[in-house]
Amino acid sequence: MTNHWSDIQHSDCALIMGANPAENHPISFRWLTKAQEKGGKIVSVDPRFTRTSAKADVYAQLRSGTDIAFMGGMIKYALDNELYHKDYVVNYTNASFILKDTYEFNDGIFSGYDEPTRKYDKTQWAFETDEEGNPVKDMTLKHPRSVFQMMKNHYSRYDADTVCSVTGTPKEDFLKVCEAFCATGAPDKAGTILYAMGTTQHTVGTQNVRAFGMIQLLLGNMGLPGGGLNAMRGESNVQGSTDFGLLYNNLTGYLGAPTMLHPTLEAYNEKETPSAGYWSNKPKFLVSLLKAWYGPNATKDNEFGYQYLPKGNKNYSHINLFSAMYKGELEGAFLFGTNPVVGGPNAGKEKEALGNLKWLVAADLWETESASFWQKEAGSNPSAISTEVFLLPAASSYEKEGSVSNSSRWMQYRWQAIKPKGQSLADLEIIHEMYLHLKDLYKNEKTPAAKPFNALDWNFGKGNHPDIDLVCKEINGYDLTTGKLVPGFGALKDDGTTTSGNWIYSGFYPEEGNNRAKSRDNKDTGGGNYLNWSFAWPANRRILYNRAAADLNGKPWSKKTAIIWWDASQKKWVGNDVPDFVVDRAPTDPGGTNPYTMLKDGVAGLFAGNLNDGPFPEHYEPFESPVANAFSSQDSNPAIQLFDGEFNLKGDYKQFPIVATTYRVSEHWQSGSMTRNQEWLSELVGHMFVEISEELAKEKGIKNKDKVIVSSARGEIEAYAMVTKRFKPYTIQGQKVHHIGMPWHFGYKGFATGDTANRLTPHIGDANTTIPEYKAFLCNVRRAN
Amino acid sequence: MVEINLNRRQFLKLSGATAATLAIVELGFNENEAKAKTKEFKIAKSTVTPTICCFCGVGCGILVHTKDDTVVYTEGDSDNPINEGTLCSKGTTIRQVYTSEKRIEKPLYRAPGSDKWEEKSWDWMYKTIAQRVKDTRDRTFVEKEDGITVNKTEAIASLGGAALDNEETYLLAKLMRGLGVVYLEHQARI
Amino acid sequence: MATEYVKLVDVTKCDGCRACMVACKNWNDLPAEPQDFLGTMQSHANVSADTWNVLTFVEHENSKGGLDYLFRHSSCYHCVDAACEKVCPESAISYTDFGSVVIDHDKCVGCGYCEQNCPFDVISLKEYKDKNGKEYRKANKCTMCTDRLEEGLQPACVTTCHPGAMQFGEKEEMLQKAEKRVSEIKERYPNATIYNPAGVGGTHTIYVLAEKPSVYGMPENPKVPTSAVLWKDYAQPIGKAMVGGVTMALVGAFVANKFFDKKGKEHEEDGGDRHE
Repeated sequence: MTNHWSDIQHSDCALIMGANPAENHPISFRWLTKAQEKGGKIVSVDPRFTRTSAKADVYAQLRSGTDIAFMGGMIKYALDNELYHKDYVVNYTNASFILKDTYEFNDGIFSGYDEPTRKYDKTQWAFETDEEGNPVKDMTLKHPRSVFQMMKNHYSRYDADTVCSVTGTPKEDFLKVCEAFCATGAPDKAGTILYAMGTTQHTVGTQNVRAFGMIQLLLGNMGLPGGGLNAMRGESNVQGSTDFGLLYNNLTGYLGAPTMLHPTLEAYNEKETPSAGYWSNKPKFLVSLLKAWYGPNATKDNEFGYQYLPKGNKNYSHINLFSAMYKGELEGAFLFGTNPVVGGPNAGKEKEALGNLKWLVAADLWETESASFWQKEAGSNPSAISTEVFLLPAASSYEKEGSVSNSSRWMQYRWQAIKPKGQSLADLEIIHEMYLHLKDLYKNEKTPAAKPFNALDWNFGKGNHPDIDLVCKEINGYDLTTGKLVPGFGALKDDGTTTSGNWIYSGFYPEEGNNRAKSRDNKDTGGGNYLNWSFAWPANRRILYNRAAADLNGKPWSKKTAIIWWDASQKKWVGNDVPDFVVDRAPTDPGGTNPYTMLKDGVAGLFAGNLNDGPFPEHYEPFESPVANAFSSQDSNPAIQLFDGEFNLKGDYKQFPIVATTYRVSEHWQSGSMTRNQEWLSELVGHMFVEISEELAKEKGIKNKDKVIVSSARGEIEAYAMVTKRFKPYTIQGQKVHHIGMPWHFGYKGFATGDTANRLTPHIGDANTTIPEYKAFLCNVRRAN
Repeated sequence: MVEINLNRRQFLKLSGATAATLAIVELGFNENEAKAKTKEFKIAKSTVTPTICCFCGVGCGILVHTKDDTVVYTEGDSDNPINEGTLCSKGTTIRQVYTSEKRIEKPLYRAPGSDKWEEKSWDWMYKTIAQRVKDTRDRTFVEKEDGITVNKTEAIASLGGAALDNEETYLLAKLMRGLGVVYLEHQARI
Repeated sequence: MATEYVKLVDVTKCDGCRACMVACKNWNDLPAEPQDFLGTMQSHANVSADTWNVLTFVEHENSKGGLDYLFRHSSCYHCVDAACEKVCPESAISYTDFGSVVIDHDKCVGCGYCEQNCPFDVISLKEYKDKNGKEYRKANKCTMCTDRLEEGLQPACVTTCHPGAMQFGEKEEMLQKAEKRVSEIKERYPNATIYNPAGVGGTHTIYVLAEKPSVYGMPENPKVPTSAVLWKDYAQPIGKAMVGGVTMALVGAFVANKFFDKKGKEHEEDGGDRHE
């Protein structure tokens, strides 16, 4: 989230799309309700009528997987009706930049496409530059090759009729949504977009988010209280675990993981460090991280231990990981509180893949479906599975201490309420012990394998129980010259004299005895930003890009949307938040009107040349779709990686004519291992069900509460039919298309059991993130006999 | 240790709660007086510890009431500016994360081909796991590839972490990268 | 007269999360009771001895041709004129000074008259076994968390409600809020109304409803059954005089069978006048 939960109350309009916060982030509705009480509007755009839709002022149905068509239509609506915030667009975005002749778009394909590799040459999507390398601009936005005009041209095809024939949205509902949200283009209005996995879990997931970003820039909503682009995270610390580098492609703090393209530290720095913008400091953050990890073994002479880091040569993400496991390329795996046999795509095959491991270690509170994949209950034959499984009892969140980072980047501390249940232990201790036992085995070895592991600097106290305070301090970082904690990432250096385990968190522990994650002063410091409650990375900032909430002169666009402003008498930025700007850089100074400080050009990108599948979001149909693409002859995203073989079967429309989507409910959480093992929640939603429209039920002879079989190219599951008015068939390009939906929480363990929806979902991912396309696939449904 | 401020808890705004209690006793609850004394107010002597909800990414504050080595009640933390003492159904139920009979309380091991778990000691588990990791890693470790130092193993994967604390994710990332693990993924991807 | 308190439930703010259901179980240490699939998101068909409040889910095609998905926290109404209190032969049911209606388990003999006469169907009997294996029954329902009220805390369901769909406070203030809210939402919900039925003397759980009560499955005009009035005001005193108040339940069994229709739940409109 660029903004934060209580900030939602300042919103004039909340567009909720690809999310169902009433069910999945319920407390957001405390703030959405407050916004509504102040006259704000809630808009829900969703394939199904949810508990969020029930509370919305405007609801519009769209077919799952058609968000870009919808948003493209909204972009066109804002442009045609001149509802965009012109001063913002001209000055704070790259709308005025002129594109080189090499950029083209033709019938669904951008220039630079290489069909055999399914990859684009992104250098063709570049701006014209002057002799000094600065972009050439036309501040009138009239130049035919300006980003603004090219964008206008790109979305000229997205007229309301075409859009609605693709999305299946009633046209009047589509226009109501556009009208309500585009009204926030007025300088004294702020609109927020709230999204979640309904947006991202598509083969065009990243571009869905980009489309949201574009409309927010056009309407001048970024940086404003009540505005922003707000990804609601689904797990208590999925923000933190991403910040801390538990994805193959990132080290901590979004420093890209080294690959074969970065053979040396120098090569890494050269390739990964932009010439301008705050990321130009990247070498300081990386060297400080290396010093935190390798300590005295990281010296100037050995590239600060850079070579100890593993270098990959491909995409190691979830789908690829399980593909490799299925092929027997992996020997061992650790599962830390995760349950892919329920939560992974094509989960039946992921379960089979686990049987190809030699060993599996699972640390969990429960006997999950994944830890017990070898059991008869799982449909497995135990005697045929030779995997050794180690199930380690982990302590729950309040049986230990530590911090978590919520969606709005607030790092909040959790204190220990009770000692771990039974023999269970905190994961911190489990990981620490694992290190100690491995170190025991390796300490006297000098093999190539031993060397990088032995180089790790691991000092978290004596004995088996790690000192969490030492971990916290290592994350924050030290000045090695003075031995003191660094006050923030501004103090980090690239010469090996500073450490920081995660630069974006640096400053949360600025001095001895002051772990700011533990701050509990809840006095409103202004604007409802609570600056003394917890610590928000970076630098305790609550609203990102807040410089953009002030005009070129540093004056708020309106009194109502004020957050920070330039105080000429004090010669600094002041207000209700930590400025996302150099605090004493005047609006008249060089760069004083460039609010997007992380980016090279200092302005936000309506045109973004760095994504794998194009600089403007373009509609493509989901991998499995009931219709051809109405916008071009490219049916699915041309830049996605295609998998084949029996692990990755694709369903055909004739056999599987129904669009399916998966989702979560208020009462359960993720794969259900936490909630299906609790009786009160199991009681509330105790059965696997499938939501079916009255029309489809009639066609199929299905009655409410009947048991039905849902099938896809991957498999079949049984569930109860929930026949509901909240699902309606679509009319897509003149043809009736049915859809169904189901929760993905169920498995065969716990108090509430049921078939696993993910046995139906495909192994196909987004072109940028490879996040699986859980939200739109094809299926069929019939009565169970 | 943390100081908990319960000032913002939703007390009744009546002419004094104590007065009301007395009034009830006078109004015919006399017979229950003895019973009321034996049945202590549920959270009267509990220890209260603030935590943050373990479910979604909103980050609501929760107070955990413990007494006699168990969790007797969980409720919203009224001081937390995100939820101001309120919760959803999952947050409210967090008590059962501890009290559920389904919690595993001992390390469990499943041998190849076996159809059951066996209880093992932590020490045995750690030692055996470390041996398995080392064995796999040593056999599959790649020091160089095309002349480039790569120091990796593509035979071990680590998944998960979104339910861990920051400090734990930090140690996990450090350990796994330190081992040369490149198949490093967690729930943000799925 | 002490101040009266009511729980105001504004269903138009409820987002159906069901924290109220769990908060109730958590505070009152009530066990889960797994249910069959009901064909909707609703978990329990009705409240029960172990589930004192249930969130109801109704899909309603409204007068504008649109779809409303209506949620309602349903539990004991804590009537001002409570039938349960009237029919209880053991005087186990009483009013507290807060206005809540509570059952004293020490006095309850499990006769079930309260359950049969409740115009809202919110009291349930539960079977227990004593240490000798002997079965006995007690009536159970929402207590409005009277134990919390006594300590100056609000009911657990109210405290946890994040959209502010429930408030607990002085009756007059809550009624004013309800009226204001109804006027605010009339445009969206033309049938919006306050539910505080006069037939039971008003209630201590008052609703702001988006639709007519019947859409939510609530009685439009609930009344205290006449039989209950007869029992309380005539039969019970006579019976007490007859047996010296020793064991009213025995006498009650005789008298009550005459007065009460054990199966019929028809006291909504006619107040039970059709008996005899």
